Amino acid sequence: MDLLSKALVIGLTEHAPLVLAAIGFALLYRLTGLMNVAYSETVTLGAYFGMWVNTTFGLNFYAVLLPAGVMAGLVSVATYLAIFRPAKRRNVGTLELVIISFGLSIFMRHGLQFVFGYPVRFYDVPPPDTLRVLGTGVSTFRLLALISVAVVSLALYWFIQKSRLGLQIRALASDEGLAQASGIRPLAVTVLIWFIAGMAGGLAGAFYGVGSSVVPLLGWRQFLFILLVVLVGGTRGLGGVIVVGIATGVALAAMTLQFGQAYYAQLALIAAFVVFLKVRSRRTAETGKV
Amino acid sequence: MNLDWLDAFLIYGLFTVCIITGLALLLHLQLGLARIANFGVVGFFGIGMYTFGVLYVKVDWPFADPWQFFVCLLGGTLVAGLSGLLVGWLTADLNEDGVLVGTLGFATAVFILATTEKDITGGAQGMGGLGFPYDVGGVKANETLWLLIAAVVMAAILYYVWRVHRSPYGRLLVAVGANEPLARSLGKPTFRTKLWVFAVSSAGMGLLGAVYGVMERFLRPTNLGIDITLAAMVALVLGGSARVWGAVVGVVVTVGFFDIVVQSYLPLPREWYSQTIPVLREALFGAALIIVLMFRPVGILGDMRRDKLMRSMHGD
Repeated sequence: MDLLSKALVIGLTEHAPLVLAAIGFALLYRLTGLMNVAYSETVTLGAYFGMWVNTTFGLNFYAVLLPAGVMAGLVSVATYLAIFRPAKRRNVGTLELVIISFGLSIFMRHGLQFVFGYPVRFYDVPPPDTLRVLGTGVSTFRLLALISVAVVSLALYWFIQKSRLGLQIRALASDEGLAQASGIRPLAVTVLIWFIAGMAGGLAGAFYGVGSSVVPLLGWRQFLFILLVVLVGGTRGLGGVIVVGIATGVALAAMTLQFGQAYYAQLALIAAFVVFLKVRSRRTAETGKV
Repeated sequence: MNLDWLDAFLIYGLFTVCIITGLALLLHLQLGLARIANFGVVGFFGIGMYTFGVLYVKVDWPFADPWQFFVCLLGGTLVAGLSGLLVGWLTADLNEDGVLVGTLGFATAVFILATTEKDITGGAQGMGGLGFPYDVGGVKANETLWLLIAAVVMAAILYYVWRVHRSPYGRLLVAVGANEPLARSLGKPTFRTKLWVFAVSSAGMGLLGAVYGVMERFLRPTNLGIDITLAAMVALVLGGSARVWGAVVGVVVTVGFFDIVVQSYLPLPREWYSQTIPVLREALFGAALIIVLMFRPVGILGDMRRDKLMRSMHGD
């Protein structure tokens, strides 16, 4: 019980940004069918933009969230307009698109070092207080991060599932031709999705960055888990992504507590997810045969 | 023979070219022919390197070099091949997304195990004790001979890939890569074909990892970065992923340029070599992947040449 409550608190507070990043990635994946590897750099850039605004203008962390998210969203849109849209027009294959996004990821990860410098960077924030939640010590800062992540995630969920624009986004994702015939402007809606996805990734990056340090590999270290959460939970829509994201965070925390080593928890989770995907693909194949 | 021109930088640069060429050739079988996008090349490379290292340094063998060396080399290759079999089995019937997750996940798992298993691998501090299985007199002579051995391994892989291209098995790989459901409907064992090519080429990657580990002498998890996968992939795509010589041409113009020409011959300020050049190298490799796949997806050498049998049937 003690382990469970600890895992719940640590998992929710420490891995909250994973849910946010996964929602952004799932939006893109659902609309474009693209495994955008460069999304990991959107997360990284969110952390860098936040750090830059924070240290340059002396703003507190919560004031930098909006500019960091907007800047990451704009970069995301720029990658769509400059690379993925022209690639789609040139009928580049799915496999090649994944490799292009891998190339873009590498390019951005190394290119940003020429802009922000090579050394590890940190946010300039005051040391947070510690509160006890269910008997586990949590910094106020992480608690506020969790609340912010929950609010933003739910707002995004509401926006996609309930709002008019969200309906247009889902319509475009399921049938582009039909959506276009119904008067939906694909370019405007697609740009909007890339912006929202970039913003979600950027915000997640800012939360990751302020919790530790800002390094070029920040987003890449999370990418595999974002990918796994979206592949496993994505078939059930955004709700599935949120549930699997939370479960992943709690499982990572529980196994880290159990094994005493975060790496073992990651290893177990990677193995479990890949086996799950294999089993599910077999079941789908069997259904297909029937 | 006067080998004064062959300094340590040049030996290491040429050695890197041989290793990456070997990896790119094996990736050509996976990605170029069977269209399996292996994003975890470094995982198979790494597991071969570490298995070889652990067997060589930590196990008390009843026989000495060169037999100890060959047995450990075989061990590294086999373990990498078996890993390829496992990852291939898990991912061969998944789509590109599943392959991306499976191969990336495997590379991450190898990195994690190399870092956490301190008693076996030395953890983040690394593991020493590796060396050449011979002594022909001096560091330079030993390294030069090892460079030649790496070149022979690379040539053997090139010959194997060249033979595959001209065999019915090669045509089957191309058919599976081009249209898997069609190949399956014609009665071809597509799953087994993909599994086999993945396992064999992964074993080759493991062998190259072991050869690389000997030259490095000290194994660290930092040897297992994504830069290895990137170098092999960018070389293959730039040279031409459908052609045997594409990998070779690609490595010469990418890794060859940076690790030999820039490293040894360009008069650049010395302080650039620690961070600026390596970061620029990776950024340009990433940009090259985008530009080539957008504007010339067939790479420098162009599309696949039909082999003799197909030419006689369909003309050029």
